[in-house]
Amino acid sequence: MTDGRQPSGLSDGWAVVGTLFAGVVVWGGIGWLIDLWLDTTFVKAIGVLVGLVAGIYLVFVKYGNT
Amino acid sequence: MSASVVLASECPPDDPGFCAPSVLEFFPKPLATFDLFGVHFAITRITIILWIATGLMVWFFIAATRNMRLVPDKRQYFAESGYSLIRDGVAREVIGTEGLRFAPYLASLFFFILINNIMGIIPFAQIPPTGRFAFPVVLAAITYVLFNWVGIRQQGVGPYFKNNLFPAGVPKPLYLLITPIEFFSTFVFRPFTLAVRLFANMLAGHLLLAIFAAGTVYLFTVGNFSVIFGPISFAMTVIMTFFELLVQVLQAYVFVVLTSTYIAGAMEEAH
Repeated sequence: MTDGRQPSGLSDGWAVVGTLFAGVVVWGGIGWLIDLWLDTTFVKAIGVLVGLVAGIYLVFVKYGNT
Repeated sequence: MSASVVLASECPPDDPGFCAPSVLEFFPKPLATFDLFGVHFAITRITIILWIATGLMVWFFIAATRNMRLVPDKRQYFAESGYSLIRDGVAREVIGTEGLRFAPYLASLFFFILINNIMGIIPFAQIPPTGRFAFPVVLAAITYVLFNWVGIRQQGVGPYFKNNLFPAGVPKPLYLLITPIEFFSTFVFRPFTLAVRLFANMLAGHLLLAIFAAGTVYLFTVGNFSVIFGPISFAMTVIMTFFELLVQVLQAYVFVVLTSTYIAGAMEEAH
């Protein structure tokens, strides 16, 4: 943390939303690709859930201890 | 002022119904076209508005700071407090004292976006050039190159990517889950959402205003009892104009705050 810096609620808020969003989109997308590849339909749902959990976990790791 | 001055889209001539303004507003007829190095350029009224708006802003800041005095006149005071808002309120606040060297870029970015947003409610212009996706895209691209360059310069290539892709305090096997998320959120979604946030706000705001304004004209001219709804549409036009002013200022500010957040994040060593 550089000197004189105030924690900004606005930017942390966007970062948290972005992380959660990225988690769902990235792992949902990977699931969707696996679905295309294996000709199944359920993997994208698992991907979305995995991404949601991973995103929440990542938010805790990065912003939870302030 | 008749609607045809500022509205680009045209209704079928024999259609008596209400014809709502559409995204075609952002694709006016080119006033001039030319090819340069194989790239096709079209100068539209949106281009002209962008030139005039940016020219006015540049002229204002040059004129206001040409004869600087210890006791500022009104113009110098306005320019100084505007610059100070970004320098002290954003650059110093978000990045820290090291952030002051980015203040010129951040202030230029803020006032460029601000003036081009506000063109959405200036009579006869009445379209925000930032509602054309190309402009936010270029601005977001500059920010993207800047924060990555700052991060690589400040931390070195290896540590910069390591800090961004492998956040500290995560058990090693979990990086399998976390790293793709970090990669996409930092290097893909950041510039994308930065551009889309500005673009979508300006596009939606402009269409909202255009629909209420066109609706007012239609309700007053179509005849029969529709005229009693005209004032409601007119009131909404006025209310939404003030609301748009708020959105326009806010979006310019958000763009700059997020840009400096990204720079701050790139300058920071691991958390």
